[in-house]
Amino acid sequence: MTSHLNLGPVLFNWPADKLRDFYFRIADEAPVHTVFLGEVVCSKRQPFFAPHLPEVAERLTAAGKRVIFSSLALVLSKREVELVRELCALDDVMVEANDLSAASQLMGRDHAIGPFINIYNEGSLKVFEGQGATHISLPGELSRKSLAALAKNAQADLEVQIFGRQPLAISARCYHARAMGLAKDSCQYVCEKHPDGMDLDTLDGDPFLAVNGLQTLSYTCANLIGELTDMQTMGIRNFRLSPQNTDMVEVANLYRRVLDGIQEPESTTEKLDDLMDGLPFSNGFYYATEGVSAQNGLEEFGV
Amino acid sequence: MTTEKLELVCPAGTPAALRAAVDAGADTVYCGFRDATNARNFPGLNFSRDELAEGIEYAKQHGSKVLVALNTYPEAGNPEPWHQAVLDAADLGAHALIMADVGLLSYAADNRPDTRRHLSVQASASNPDAIGYYQKAFDVKRVVLPRVLTVPEIAALNKQIDVETEVFVFGGLCVMAEGRCSLSSYATGQSPNMNGVCSPASHVRYENKGNKLVSKLGDFTINQFSQSEAAGYPTLCKGRFVTEDKPSYLFEDPTSLNAAQFLPELMEAGVTALKIEGRQRGKAYIAQVVAAFRRAADAAARGETVPPLGLENITEGQRETTGAYNKRWQ
Amino acid sequence: MSHSPKGPPAPLSPILLAGLALRPVPYVLLQPIFTKAIRQMHNRHSDVFERLIALGSPRYLIDPVDLPFSFIMDTNPAHPTLDVLAEGSDETIMDIKACVRGPLLQLIELLEGRIDGDALFFSRDLVVEGDTEAVLGLRNAVDGADINVHEDLLDLFGPLSKPIDGAAQIAGKIFNRFSRDLSLISQASTAPLQRKCDAQAASIEELEETVATLKKQLRRRREKTA
Repeated sequence: MTSHLNLGPVLFNWPADKLRDFYFRIADEAPVHTVFLGEVVCSKRQPFFAPHLPEVAERLTAAGKRVIFSSLALVLSKREVELVRELCALDDVMVEANDLSAASQLMGRDHAIGPFINIYNEGSLKVFEGQGATHISLPGELSRKSLAALAKNAQADLEVQIFGRQPLAISARCYHARAMGLAKDSCQYVCEKHPDGMDLDTLDGDPFLAVNGLQTLSYTCANLIGELTDMQTMGIRNFRLSPQNTDMVEVANLYRRVLDGIQEPESTTEKLDDLMDGLPFSNGFYYATEGVSAQNGLEEFGV
Repeated sequence: MTTEKLELVCPAGTPAALRAAVDAGADTVYCGFRDATNARNFPGLNFSRDELAEGIEYAKQHGSKVLVALNTYPEAGNPEPWHQAVLDAADLGAHALIMADVGLLSYAADNRPDTRRHLSVQASASNPDAIGYYQKAFDVKRVVLPRVLTVPEIAALNKQIDVETEVFVFGGLCVMAEGRCSLSSYATGQSPNMNGVCSPASHVRYENKGNKLVSKLGDFTINQFSQSEAAGYPTLCKGRFVTEDKPSYLFEDPTSLNAAQFLPELMEAGVTALKIEGRQRGKAYIAQVVAAFRRAADAAARGETVPPLGLENITEGQRETTGAYNKRWQ
Repeated sequence: MSHSPKGPPAPLSPILLAGLALRPVPYVLLQPIFTKAIRQMHNRHSDVFERLIALGSPRYLIDPVDLPFSFIMDTNPAHPTLDVLAEGSDETIMDIKACVRGPLLQLIELLEGRIDGDALFFSRDLVVEGDTEAVLGLRNAVDGADINVHEDLLDLFGPLSKPIDGAAQIAGKIFNRFSRDLSLISQASTAPLQRKCDAQAASIEELEETVATLKKQLRRRREKTA
């Protein structure tokens, strides 16, 4: 059975043109199987790229990629509830639920569950599979032991994020706006300033987290390149690349070569390090330790 | 749906705190077992099976109810402690089980269908569609709402759902959507979802540096205090950090929630129960806060204005906030 | 754990001022009283020690800074002990997991569950060293028991309890007053030293800022040593 590289939704606020060009290039050049489209973090960003979605989805499909539409992670307002309902009512598209509001409306049809829905154990896995979930992207803080236990019982395809800053939290409050002294309602879309998220340091200057509007991510970039074989042995065949503001086609090429056994994880990590301009890598969650830490060969590239 | 009288749901980390809460007028007390099955798995805290049995008995004698929180996410490959906790809590006579995990809700509905199920705030069900799902799938009778909704949003929500709602009115304030936060495990390896702890004491250090006191969580400085400042516990999201060269309490100021002034509006909004946070707090704190909110809830029920709570000594050194109940918070 | 052998007692220790001076008595002679006290606590509140098993039944150093000696409390659930540690003892060899230092009155309040877990950390009077989790565990465990130091200690003395009760209350009042006075006096006498410390701290702060800036410059493009 082959392993698939999938491209997660772009979590950051990139200008619509840039986003469209990005997906066109992914369609033409990137060795990815599935592409997740749509705004997951902030409903206020949603209108800008929405007009381009059909064109982008078509281009990706024509290039042989599977397209899945991701739903919002935090659904509070009436408008947000409506957005999710509209998405779930679309015919002939596959939707990834990132909140129970979406999952409940997708019951009984083939759908995906995103990493913002908590599936920590076999019990909840079974419930979601019973509701029709066939592709499940697991929460980032699960350890190797949990992944193995889930993989042993899974009917659905399980996916794990192997690259990109790790989503850690989401809030009703916008920290980008707050940092700039603005209210959420009149945020001026300041999150656009940071296409990889805004760095957040401790008081003594150590980089710690990254802010992306309502979302908080890790400062470090996940890199599970050394764990791919281990996960394949468990039966996990889907690996998510979470887009960062770098050459994602090349990132996908590098991981693909490792999956195909053409390239070694160590030398590939050095190339990824160049692509990420030295941003430290981490894989601690996999080893049931601090998520920020880098273990098992990745230490040299850690914090 | 309007309630005549708001139910007061109070925390207990120990049997002594449970008695203190009941004595101070709690309608309902919530507590957890002494393990990772609940989200306040703090050292030295919580109940053995025998202690829970005694606690339930004490509460019953005084006309109060006991809820048991089983609100962490069971570990893959190791569901037994959670399953056993469901069976034991139900068999010991808990009025309801507070759960967040879909798998555990399903287990409880199948195995102890007669014990009420409440949806924990850790499930962060913040909209009518999500809440409707839990009601239909697991016959959940009450949902504890995330601390991110404004009062008008709560009122609108209650019109669209057919389950009771319980809202936080006092104590610590999560600024992130509950149950969807891995900040703690990113820095310490231990999280609310998996281990029932946030910013665990085992990873906390205080260091004296010159005339500053530095609080650290794992390898990260969470805050620094000058001589004149009151030092706080380094809860990750209440720390001081630097963005764009500017230090600030970016996520949340070190405040604690006090929504007493909103009690009449919350009643009007159709809320069934008021929840006080703080199973990790001492029995003296519990006694004082519960008594104050008893007076406040009774006044609200009589249609009177809510009297001053007189809790200044407890919130001393800490600012108070009305949290998300006020739209400006976002 | 920092090495801090106990210095001489504060000359104005309120205990001494209150006329309850234990000074003429060699501290070891008090040991039987503390042994009796911990045994009684074990009898009455065994759940305190049971709650600490999960933390490995830690040994704590309890240091009332206004007394000339400190204690080692071993929370072994079968045989807890409370040993007087004379001044000058080397704390580092005692296999201590955590240490709580503070004025006696506040330590008693902590023991009775009158100081909140969060307040424990807000307070600047109580100093927690070593394993923070162990200290929080102790606080939570004693809070779960209804400990009343006055009553519990008085019971130790059986039929004599009434008169001692009165004496203890008077002592408590005197103690409170003197501890207020003491903090004023000690602030006054340490003021010049404080100014010097402030100056040093200012320069440390300057250095820290420089380090933070350097870290920032190194942030991305880090040199690989390989």
